[in-house]
Amino acid sequence: MTTAGSSPAILTDATHISQGAEAASLKVYKALLHQSSNSESTPVFLKYRFNKQYRHPTLDTSLTRSRIAGEARTVLKCLRSGVHVPGLRLVDASEGILGFEWIEGKSVRMLLGGGAEGEEEIEYSENLPEDEISDETPESELESAYRITPDALMSMIGSEIGKMHLADVIHGDLTTSNMMLHWTSSANSSPSVELVLVDFGLAYTSSLVEDKAVDLYVLERAFNSTHPDSEPLFAIVLEVYGKRVGKEWTSIKRRLDDVRLRGRKRSMVG
Amino acid sequence: MEVISYPYFPAHLSRAYIALYTSVTDAGSLRSRIINAATLASPEGDQERELLNFAFVDPRLITSALHVETAVYQAILAAAQGSLRTKTVHSEVLWALNPGNNISEAIRRYGVSDGCTSLLVIRIDSSELQDVEAKMGSVVSGQLVPLTQLGTLTDWAAVKKYHKLNQEAAIKAASGDIQKEHDVVDNIVVSSVAIKSVMG
Ligand SMILES: Nc1ncnc2c1ncn2[C@@H]1O[C@H](COP(=O)(O)OP(=O)(O)O)[C@@H](O)[C@H]1O
Ligand SMILES: [Mg+2]
Repeated sequence: MTTAGSSPAILTDATHISQGAEAASLKVYKALLHQSSNSESTPVFLKYRFNKQYRHPTLDTSLTRSRIAGEARTVLKCLRSGVHVPGLRLVDASEGILGFEWIEGKSVRMLLGGGAEGEEEIEYSENLPEDEISDETPESELESAYRITPDALMSMIGSEIGKMHLADVIHGDLTTSNMMLHWTSSANSSPSVELVLVDFGLAYTSSLVEDKAVDLYVLERAFNSTHPDSEPLFAIVLEVYGKRVGKEWTSIKRRLDDVRLRGRKRSMVG
Repeated sequence: MEVISYPYFPAHLSRAYIALYTSVTDAGSLRSRIINAATLASPEGDQERELLNFAFVDPRLITSALHVETAVYQAILAAAQGSLRTKTVHSEVLWALNPGNNISEAIRRYGVSDGCTSLLVIRIDSSELQDVEAKMGSVVSGQLVPLTQLGTLTDWAAVKKYHKLNQEAAIKAASGDIQKEHDVVDNIVVSSVAIKSVMG
Protein backbone atom coordinates (compact mmCIF):
# COMPACT_ATOMS: atom_id res chain seq x y z
CA MET A 1 0.00 0.00 0.00
CA THR A 2 2.79 2.41 0.77
CA THR A 3 6.28 2.55 -0.55
CA ALA A 4 9.09 1.27 1.62
CA GLY A 5 10.28 3.76 4.17
CA SER A 6 7.27 6.08 4.07
CA SER A 7 4.57 6.21 6.74
CA PRO A 8 1.13 4.77 6.06
CA ALA A 9 -1.31 7.30 4.59
CA ILE A 10 -3.53 7.40 7.69
CA LEU A 11 -0.75 9.12 9.63
CA THR A 12 -0.59 12.11 7.28
CA ASP A 13 -3.38 14.01 9.08
CA ALA A 14 -2.90 12.41 12.48
CA THR A 15 -1.66 14.43 15.45
CA HIS A 16 1.67 13.18 16.69
CA ILE A 17 1.44 12.93 20.48
CA SER A 18 4.81 11.69 21.59
CA GLN A 19 7.75 9.72 20.42
CA GLY A 20 6.97 6.78 22.68
CA ALA A 21 9.14 5.20 25.29
CA GLU A 22 10.84 3.03 22.71
CA ALA A 23 11.62 6.17 20.75
CA ALA A 24 13.53 4.44 17.96
CA SER A 25 10.64 2.34 16.74
CA LEU A 26 7.32 3.62 18.07
CA LYS A 27 5.18 6.73 17.61
CA VAL A 28 1.75 7.50 19.02
CA TYR A 29 -0.94 9.66 17.43
CA LYS A 30 -4.47 10.95 17.80
CA ALA A 31 -6.34 10.36 14.54
CA LEU A 32 -9.68 9.91 12.80
CA LEU A 33 -10.25 6.64 10.91
CA HIS A 34 -13.00 8.09 8.74
CA GLN A 35 -15.40 10.99 8.31
CA SER A 36 -19.11 10.40 8.54
CA SER A 37 -21.92 12.32 6.84
CA ASN A 38 -24.26 12.06 9.84
CA SER A 39 -22.30 11.90 13.04
CA GLU A 40 -19.19 13.37 14.52
CA SER A 41 -16.30 10.95 14.26
CA THR A 42 -14.65 9.88 17.46
CA PRO A 43 -10.86 9.95 17.52
CA VAL A 44 -8.67 6.91 18.02
CA PHE A 45 -5.29 6.49 19.68
CA LEU A 46 -2.83 5.08 17.13
CA LYS A 47 0.41 3.28 17.90
CA TYR A 48 2.69 3.00 14.92
CA ARG A 49 5.50 0.50 15.27
CA PHE A 50 7.73 1.26 12.34
CA ASN A 51 10.54 -0.81 10.93
CA LYS A 52 14.05 -0.03 11.97
CA GLN A 53 15.75 0.33 8.64
CA TYR A 54 19.07 -1.12 9.70
CA ARG A 55 17.75 -4.57 10.46
CA HIS A 56 16.79 -7.33 8.08
CA PRO A 57 13.58 -6.06 6.40
CA THR A 58 11.59 -9.33 6.21
CA LEU A 59 12.64 -10.39 9.69
CA ASP A 60 11.72 -6.91 10.90
CA THR A 61 8.27 -7.13 9.36
CA SER A 62 7.50 -10.49 10.90
CA LEU A 63 8.76 -9.32 14.31
CA THR A 64 6.58 -6.23 14.11
CA ARG A 65 3.64 -8.40 13.04
CA SER A 66 3.98 -10.71 15.99
CA ARG A 67 4.40 -7.86 18.48
CA ILE A 68 1.30 -6.13 17.12
CA ALA A 69 -0.67 -9.39 17.26
CA GLY A 70 0.58 -10.13 20.78
CA GLU A 71 -0.33 -6.70 22.16
CA ALA A 72 -3.78 -6.84 20.54
CA ARG A 73 -4.52 -10.34 21.86
CA THR A 74 -3.50 -9.39 25.39
CA VAL A 75 -5.76 -6.33 25.31
CA LEU A 76 -8.69 -8.49 24.15
CA LYS A 77 -7.99 -10.96 26.94
CA CYS A 78 -8.07 -8.10 29.47
CA LEU A 79 -11.34 -6.79 28.05
CA ARG A 80 -12.97 -10.20 28.34
CA SER A 81 -11.67 -10.51 31.90
CA GLY A 82 -13.19 -7.19 32.93
CA VAL A 83 -9.89 -5.32 33.29
CA HIS A 84 -10.36 -1.68 32.27
CA VAL A 85 -8.30 -1.22 29.10
CA PRO A 86 -8.95 0.80 25.92
CA GLY A 87 -10.95 -1.20 23.34
CA LEU A 88 -9.33 -2.10 20.02
CA ARG A 89 -10.46 -0.19 16.96
CA LEU A 90 -7.98 -1.10 14.24
CA VAL A 91 -5.30 -3.73 13.75
CA ASP A 92 -3.05 -3.40 10.71
CA ALA A 93 -0.26 -5.88 11.32
CA SER A 94 1.29 -5.37 7.87
CA GLU A 95 1.90 -1.67 8.49
CA GLY A 96 2.51 -2.07 12.21
CA ILE A 97 -0.48 -0.01 13.37
CA LEU A 98 -2.75 -0.55 16.35
CA GLY A 99 -5.77 1.70 16.92
CA PHE A 100 -7.39 2.01 20.34
CA GLU A 101 -10.45 3.64 21.80
CA TRP A 102 -9.48 7.22 22.66
CA ILE A 103 -9.35 7.68 26.44
CA GLU A 104 -10.21 11.22 27.47
CA GLY A 105 -8.26 11.73 30.64
CA LYS A 106 -4.86 12.09 32.21
CA SER A 107 -2.14 9.71 33.21
CA VAL A 108 -1.85 8.90 36.90
CA ARG A 109 1.73 10.14 36.70
CA MET A 110 0.51 13.64 35.82
CA LEU A 111 -2.25 13.56 38.42
CA LEU A 112 0.22 12.62 41.14
CA GLY A 113 2.51 15.43 40.13
CA GLY A 114 5.16 13.31 38.43
CA GLY A 115 5.32 15.58 35.38
CA ALA A 116 5.45 14.39 31.81
CA GLU A 117 7.36 11.24 31.00
CA GLY A 118 10.98 12.03 30.20
CA GLU A 119 10.59 15.57 31.55
CA GLU A 120 13.77 15.17 33.55
CA GLU A 121 15.69 15.62 30.33
CA ILE A 122 13.89 18.78 29.26
CA GLU A 123 16.01 21.53 30.74
CA TYR A 124 14.35 24.64 29.33
CA SER A 125 11.27 24.00 31.46
CA GLU A 126 13.16 25.40 34.42
CA ASN A 127 13.50 28.73 32.67
CA LEU A 128 9.77 29.26 32.22
CA PRO A 129 8.51 32.61 33.53
CA GLU A 130 6.89 32.31 36.95
CA ASP A 131 3.37 33.18 35.81
CA GLU A 132 3.24 30.37 33.27
CA ILE A 133 3.49 27.76 35.97
CA SER A 134 0.09 26.70 37.20
CA ASP A 135 -0.70 27.41 40.86
CA GLU A 136 -2.96 24.41 41.14
CA THR A 137 -1.18 21.44 42.60
CA PRO A 138 -1.83 18.15 40.82
CA GLU A 139 -3.35 16.64 43.95
CA SER A 140 -6.00 19.29 43.92
CA GLU A 141 -6.75 18.58 40.25
CA LEU A 142 -7.28 14.95 41.18
CA GLU A 143 -9.77 16.00 43.81
CA SER A 144 -11.40 18.98 42.09
CA ALA A 145 -11.73 17.65 38.55
CA TYR A 146 -12.01 13.92 39.19
CA ARG A 147 -13.51 14.15 42.67
CA ILE A 148 -11.47 11.33 44.09
CA THR A 149 -8.89 11.20 46.83
CA PRO A 150 -5.37 9.82 46.34
CA ASP A 151 -6.38 6.89 48.56
CA ALA A 152 -9.33 6.06 46.31
CA LEU A 153 -7.05 6.27 43.29
CA MET A 154 -4.62 3.82 44.89
CA SER A 155 -7.39 1.38 45.58
CA MET A 156 -8.54 1.58 41.94
CA ILE A 157 -4.98 0.80 40.84
CA GLY A 158 -4.76 -2.22 43.17
CA SER A 159 -8.09 -3.48 41.95
CA GLU A 160 -7.27 -3.28 38.20
CA ILE A 161 -3.87 -4.93 38.61
CA GLY A 162 -5.50 -7.62 40.73
CA LYS A 163 -8.06 -8.37 38.00
CA MET A 164 -5.30 -8.40 35.40
CA HIS A 165 -3.16 -10.88 37.35
CA LEU A 166 -6.21 -13.06 38.02
CA ALA A 167 -6.46 -13.32 34.23
CA ASP A 168 -2.76 -14.34 34.18
CA VAL A 169 -1.76 -11.24 32.23
CA ILE A 170 1.61 -9.76 33.19
CA HIS A 171 1.87 -6.12 32.11
CA GLY A 172 5.65 -5.94 31.92
CA ASP A 173 5.86 -2.14 32.23
CA LEU A 174 3.67 -1.08 35.15
CA THR A 175 4.31 2.61 35.73
CA THR A 176 2.03 5.50 36.60
CA SER A 177 2.42 6.71 32.96
CA ASN A 178 0.71 3.55 31.80
CA MET A 179 -2.42 4.19 33.86
CA MET A 180 -5.04 6.79 33.05
CA LEU A 181 -8.03 8.24 34.84
CA HIS A 182 -10.99 8.30 32.53
CA TRP A 183 -14.39 9.94 32.87
CA THR A 184 -17.06 7.58 31.61
CA SER A 185 -20.61 8.55 30.95
CA SER A 186 -23.07 6.39 29.09
CA ALA A 187 -26.66 7.06 28.11
CA ASN A 188 -28.42 5.67 31.16
CA SER A 189 -25.91 5.50 33.95
CA SER A 190 -24.41 8.29 35.97
CA PRO A 191 -20.89 9.42 35.03
CA SER A 192 -18.07 7.78 36.90
CA VAL A 193 -14.31 7.77 37.03
CA GLU A 194 -12.48 4.67 35.86
CA LEU A 195 -8.84 3.69 36.09
CA VAL A 196 -7.63 2.40 32.71
CA LEU A 197 -4.44 0.39 32.16
CA VAL A 198 -2.66 1.14 28.86
CA ASP A 199 0.46 0.13 26.92
CA PHE A 200 0.53 -3.67 26.66
CA GLY A 201 3.54 -3.62 24.34
CA LEU A 202 5.62 -5.69 26.76
CA ALA A 203 2.80 -7.77 28.23
CA TYR A 204 2.62 -11.55 28.22
CA THR A 205 0.61 -14.38 29.72
CA SER A 206 1.88 -16.23 32.79
CA SER A 207 0.43 -17.77 35.92
CA LEU A 208 3.77 -17.77 37.77
CA VAL A 209 3.92 -16.13 41.20
CA GLU A 210 7.40 -14.85 40.32
CA ASP A 211 6.15 -12.96 37.25
CA LYS A 212 3.32 -11.35 39.20
CA ALA A 213 5.66 -10.35 42.03
CA VAL A 214 8.14 -8.78 39.59
CA ASP A 215 5.28 -6.89 37.91
CA LEU A 216 4.37 -5.38 41.30
CA TYR A 217 8.00 -4.63 42.12
CA VAL A 218 8.40 -2.67 38.87
CA LEU A 219 5.43 -0.54 39.88
CA GLU A 220 6.76 -0.05 43.40
CA ARG A 221 10.07 1.18 41.99
CA ALA A 222 8.23 3.51 39.61
CA PHE A 223 6.23 4.94 42.51
CA ASN A 224 9.31 5.49 44.63
CA SER A 225 11.27 7.22 41.90
CA THR A 226 8.58 9.50 40.44
CA HIS A 227 6.41 10.18 43.48
CA PRO A 228 8.40 11.01 46.62
CA ASP A 229 6.92 9.88 49.94
CA SER A 230 4.51 7.55 48.21
CA GLU A 231 5.09 4.57 50.52
CA PRO A 232 1.78 4.89 52.40
CA LEU A 233 -0.01 5.27 49.08
CA PHE A 234 1.61 2.19 47.61
CA ALA A 235 0.62 0.21 50.70
CA ILE A 236 -3.02 0.82 49.75
CA VAL A 237 -2.35 -0.47 46.21
CA LEU A 238 -1.01 -3.72 47.66
CA GLU A 239 -3.77 -4.09 50.22
CA VAL A 240 -6.55 -3.82 47.64
CA TYR A 241 -4.59 -5.94 45.16
CA GLY A 242 -4.28 -8.66 47.80
CA LYS A 243 -8.02 -8.71 48.44
CA ARG A 244 -8.66 -9.00 44.69
CA VAL A 245 -6.34 -11.92 43.99
CA GLY A 246 -7.48 -13.82 47.08
CA LYS A 247 -5.67 -16.94 48.22
CA GLU A 248 -2.67 -16.49 45.89
CA TRP A 249 -1.78 -13.24 47.66
CA THR A 250 0.16 -14.97 50.47
CA SER A 251 2.66 -16.48 48.05
CA ILE A 252 2.85 -13.40 45.80
CA LYS A 253 3.51 -11.25 48.88
CA ARG A 254 6.26 -13.55 50.10
CA ARG A 255 7.80 -13.56 46.63
CA LEU A 256 7.60 -9.77 46.43
CA ASP A 257 9.75 -9.64 49.60
CA ASP A 258 12.32 -11.90 47.89
CA VAL A 259 12.31 -9.74 44.78
CA ARG A 260 12.86 -6.59 46.85
CA LEU A 261 15.80 -8.25 48.59
CA ARG A 262 17.33 -9.30 45.26
CA GLY A 263 16.83 -5.72 44.03
CA ARG A 264 18.63 -4.26 47.06
CA LYS A 265 21.53 -6.70 46.77
CA ARG A 266 21.88 -5.86 43.12
CA SER A 267 21.95 -2.14 43.78
CA MET A 268 24.55 -2.62 46.57
CA VAL A 269 26.81 -4.56 44.24
CA GLY A 270 26.20 -2.29 41.24
CA MET B 1 -28.29 6.49 4.62
CA GLU B 2 -24.90 7.32 6.07
CA VAL B 3 -21.91 8.01 3.86
CA ILE B 4 -18.50 7.40 5.39
CA SER B 5 -15.35 8.57 3.68
CA TYR B 6 -11.94 6.98 3.94
CA PRO B 7 -9.52 9.51 2.50
CA TYR B 8 -6.48 7.29 3.03
CA PHE B 9 -7.60 4.46 0.77
CA PRO B 10 -7.66 4.11 -3.04
CA ALA B 11 -10.62 5.83 -4.78
CA HIS B 12 -12.61 2.63 -5.43
CA LEU B 13 -12.54 1.87 -1.68
CA SER B 14 -12.92 5.39 -0.35
CA ARG B 15 -16.63 5.43 0.51
CA ALA B 16 -18.95 3.23 2.54
CA TYR B 17 -22.67 3.78 2.04
CA ILE B 18 -24.57 2.29 4.97
CA ALA B 19 -28.36 2.13 5.34
CA LEU B 20 -30.54 0.53 7.97
CA TYR B 21 -34.04 -0.67 7.11
CA THR B 22 -36.72 -1.80 9.54
CA SER B 23 -40.16 -3.32 8.76
CA VAL B 24 -38.54 -5.35 5.99
CA THR B 25 -41.03 -7.70 4.36
CA ASP B 26 -39.13 -9.36 1.53
CA ALA B 27 -36.09 -10.91 3.22
CA GLY B 28 -36.94 -14.41 1.97
CA SER B 29 -37.16 -13.42 -1.68
CA LEU B 30 -34.04 -11.25 -1.39
CA ARG B 31 -32.15 -14.24 -0.06
CA SER B 32 -33.23 -16.45 -3.00
CA ARG B 33 -32.28 -13.66 -5.40
CA ILE B 34 -28.78 -13.50 -3.90
CA ILE B 35 -28.36 -17.29 -4.17
CA ASN B 36 -29.63 -17.40 -7.76
CA ALA B 37 -27.52 -14.46 -8.88
CA ALA B 38 -24.36 -16.39 -8.02
CA THR B 39 -25.02 -18.98 -10.73
CA LEU B 40 -26.79 -16.88 -13.39
CA ALA B 41 -24.96 -16.75 -16.70
CA SER B 42 -23.78 -13.49 -18.24
CA PRO B 43 -24.89 -10.99 -19.36
CA GLU B 44 -28.10 -11.25 -17.27
CA GLY B 45 -26.04 -12.61 -14.40
CA ASP B 46 -23.66 -9.67 -14.36
CA GLN B 47 -26.54 -7.24 -14.39
CA GLU B 48 -28.30 -9.01 -11.51
CA ARG B 49 -25.05 -9.27 -9.53
CA GLU B 50 -24.50 -5.53 -9.97
CA LEU B 51 -28.03 -4.84 -8.70
CA LEU B 52 -27.25 -6.91 -5.61
CA ASN B 53 -23.71 -5.61 -5.17
CA PHE B 54 -24.01 -4.89 -1.43
CA ALA B 55 -23.27 -6.52 1.88
CA PHE B 56 -26.57 -7.44 3.51
CA VAL B 57 -26.22 -7.80 7.27
CA ASP B 58 -28.69 -8.95 9.91
CA PRO B 59 -28.82 -6.10 12.50
CA ARG B 60 -29.84 -8.49 15.27
CA LEU B 61 -26.18 -9.47 15.63
CA ILE B 62 -24.88 -5.89 15.45
CA THR B 63 -24.34 -4.04 18.72
CA SER B 64 -23.65 -0.48 17.48
CA ALA B 65 -22.79 1.67 14.46
CA LEU B 66 -19.16 1.42 15.59
CA HIS B 67 -19.42 -2.37 15.27
CA VAL B 68 -20.32 -2.24 11.55
CA GLU B 69 -17.90 0.61 10.90
CA THR B 70 -15.06 -1.44 12.38
CA ALA B 71 -15.89 -4.43 10.15
CA VAL B 72 -16.10 -2.13 7.11
CA TYR B 73 -12.72 -0.60 7.94
CA GLN B 74 -11.00 -3.98 8.27
CA ALA B 75 -12.62 -5.15 5.00
CA ILE B 76 -11.41 -2.05 3.14
CA LEU B 77 -7.95 -2.47 4.65
CA ALA B 78 -7.77 -6.11 3.47
CA ALA B 79 -8.96 -5.13 -0.02
CA ALA B 80 -6.42 -2.29 -0.24
CA GLN B 81 -3.57 -4.57 0.86
CA GLY B 82 -4.60 -7.40 -1.45
CA SER B 83 -5.25 -9.73 1.47
CA LEU B 84 -8.98 -10.45 1.17
CA ARG B 85 -9.89 -13.85 2.61
CA THR B 86 -13.17 -13.95 0.71
CA LYS B 87 -14.22 -13.14 -2.86
CA THR B 88 -15.26 -9.52 -2.46
CA VAL B 89 -14.91 -6.61 -0.08
CA HIS B 90 -18.61 -7.07 0.75
CA SER B 91 -18.33 -10.73 1.75
CA GLU B 92 -15.22 -9.69 3.71
CA VAL B 93 -17.45 -7.50 5.92
CA LEU B 94 -19.45 -10.61 6.89
CA TRP B 95 -16.25 -12.57 7.46
CA ALA B 96 -14.90 -9.81 9.74
CA LEU B 97 -18.08 -9.84 11.82
CA ASN B 98 -18.08 -13.57 12.53
CA PRO B 99 -15.78 -14.78 15.34
CA GLY B 100 -14.97 -18.02 13.44
CA ASN B 101 -12.96 -18.63 10.27
CA ASN B 102 -15.64 -20.27 8.16
CA ILE B 103 -17.10 -17.99 5.47
CA SER B 104 -20.30 -19.99 4.91
CA GLU B 105 -20.98 -19.86 8.65
CA ALA B 106 -20.39 -16.10 8.54
CA ILE B 107 -22.92 -15.71 5.72
CA ARG B 108 -25.45 -17.99 7.42
CA ARG B 109 -25.22 -16.10 10.72
CA TYR B 110 -24.62 -12.51 9.71
CA GLY B 111 -26.17 -12.40 6.21
CA VAL B 112 -29.81 -12.07 5.25
CA SER B 113 -32.07 -14.89 6.40
CA ASP B 114 -35.76 -15.55 5.68
CA GLY B 115 -36.88 -14.30 9.07
CA CYS B 116 -35.10 -10.89 8.94
CA THR B 117 -37.45 -7.99 9.54
CA SER B 118 -34.65 -5.44 9.53
CA LEU B 119 -31.56 -5.21 7.34
CA LEU B 120 -28.29 -3.32 7.13
CA VAL B 121 -27.23 -2.64 3.56
CA ILE B 122 -23.63 -1.67 2.85
CA ARG B 123 -21.89 -0.64 -0.34
CA ILE B 124 -18.15 0.00 -0.50
CA ASP B 125 -17.23 1.94 -3.62
CA SER B 126 -15.91 5.25 -4.92
CA SER B 127 -17.35 8.74 -4.33
CA GLU B 128 -18.57 8.74 -7.94
CA LEU B 129 -21.27 6.14 -7.39
CA GLN B 130 -24.70 7.68 -8.16
CA ASP B 131 -28.16 7.18 -6.63
CA VAL B 132 -26.98 4.70 -4.02
CA GLU B 133 -30.00 5.07 -1.77
CA ALA B 134 -32.36 4.47 -4.70
CA LYS B 135 -30.35 1.42 -5.72
CA MET B 136 -30.66 0.04 -2.19
CA GLY B 137 -34.36 0.86 -2.10
CA SER B 138 -34.95 -1.08 -5.31
CA VAL B 139 -33.76 -4.34 -3.74
CA VAL B 140 -35.02 -3.93 -0.15
CA SER B 141 -38.49 -2.80 0.80
CA GLY B 142 -38.63 -1.43 4.29
CA GLN B 143 -38.39 1.74 6.27
CA LEU B 144 -35.12 3.65 6.23
CA VAL B 145 -34.04 4.59 9.79
CA PRO B 146 -30.86 6.18 11.22
CA LEU B 147 -27.91 3.97 12.22
CA THR B 148 -28.35 5.17 15.80
CA GLN B 149 -31.17 2.60 15.96
CA LEU B 150 -28.50 -0.12 15.95
CA GLY B 151 -28.35 -1.51 19.46
CA THR B 152 -32.14 -1.35 19.85
CA LEU B 153 -32.61 -4.23 17.37
CA THR B 154 -29.88 -6.38 18.91
CA ASP B 155 -30.42 -9.95 20.08
CA TRP B 156 -27.96 -9.67 22.96
CA ALA B 157 -28.28 -13.32 23.96
CA ALA B 158 -27.26 -14.44 20.46
CA VAL B 159 -24.33 -12.00 20.39
CA LYS B 160 -23.06 -13.28 23.74
CA LYS B 161 -23.44 -16.88 22.58
CA TYR B 162 -21.55 -16.45 19.30
CA HIS B 163 -18.75 -14.54 21.02
CA LYS B 164 -18.68 -17.02 23.93
CA LEU B 165 -19.13 -14.27 26.50
CA ASN B 166 -21.47 -15.86 29.03
CA GLN B 167 -18.73 -17.17 31.33
CA GLU B 168 -16.42 -14.15 31.03
CA ALA B 169 -15.56 -12.11 34.12
CA ALA B 170 -16.35 -8.84 32.33
CA ILE B 171 -19.95 -9.91 31.69
CA LYS B 172 -20.45 -11.31 35.18
CA ALA B 173 -19.13 -8.09 36.73
CA ALA B 174 -21.68 -6.04 34.78
CA SER B 175 -24.65 -8.27 35.54
CA GLY B 176 -27.63 -6.47 37.00
CA ASP B 177 -26.87 -3.26 35.09
CA ILE B 178 -28.21 -3.89 31.60
CA GLN B 179 -26.84 -0.68 30.04
CA LYS B 180 -23.39 -1.38 31.44
CA GLU B 181 -23.53 -4.98 30.22
CA HIS B 182 -24.44 -3.82 26.70
CA ASP B 183 -21.55 -1.32 26.70
CA VAL B 184 -19.13 -4.02 27.82
CA VAL B 185 -20.40 -6.51 25.23
CA ASP B 186 -20.19 -3.85 22.52
CA ASN B 187 -16.58 -2.97 23.39
CA ILE B 188 -15.53 -6.65 23.34
CA VAL B 189 -17.36 -7.37 20.11
CA VAL B 190 -15.94 -4.28 18.35
CA SER B 191 -12.44 -5.22 19.56
CA SER B 192 -12.89 -8.80 18.31
CA VAL B 193 -13.74 -7.48 14.84
CA ALA B 194 -10.71 -5.18 14.84
CA ILE B 195 -8.36 -7.99 15.86
CA LYS B 196 -9.81 -10.65 13.53
CA SER B 197 -6.97 -10.55 10.98
CA VAL B 198 -4.39 -11.63 13.59
CA MET B 199 -6.49 -14.13 15.54
CA GLY B 200 -6.33 -17.11 13.12
N1 LIG C 1 -6.12 4.86 24.39
C1 LIG C 1 -5.53 6.00 24.76
N2 LIG C 1 -6.19 7.18 24.63
C2 LIG C 1 -5.60 8.35 24.99
N3 LIG C 1 -4.34 8.44 25.47
C3 LIG C 1 -3.64 7.31 25.62
C4 LIG C 1 -4.18 6.04 25.27
N4 LIG C 1 -3.23 5.09 25.50
C5 LIG C 1 -2.16 5.74 25.99
N5 LIG C 1 -2.38 7.08 26.06
C6 LIG C 1 -1.43 8.11 26.56
O1 LIG C 1 -0.29 8.11 25.71
C7 LIG C 1 0.89 7.80 26.46
C8 LIG C 1 1.82 6.91 25.65
O2 LIG C 1 1.17 5.72 25.22
P1 LIG C 1 1.75 4.28 25.52
O3 LIG C 1 0.79 3.27 24.99
O4 LIG C 1 2.07 4.17 26.98
O5 LIG C 1 3.08 4.20 24.63
P2 LIG C 1 4.62 4.48 25.03
O6 LIG C 1 4.77 4.49 26.51
O7 LIG C 1 5.38 3.36 24.40
O8 LIG C 1 4.90 5.79 24.39
C9 LIG C 1 0.37 7.12 27.75
O9 LIG C 1 1.26 7.33 28.81
C10 LIG C 1 -0.97 7.79 27.96
O10 LIG C 1 -0.83 9.00 28.68
MG1 LIG D 1 3.80 3.88 28.12
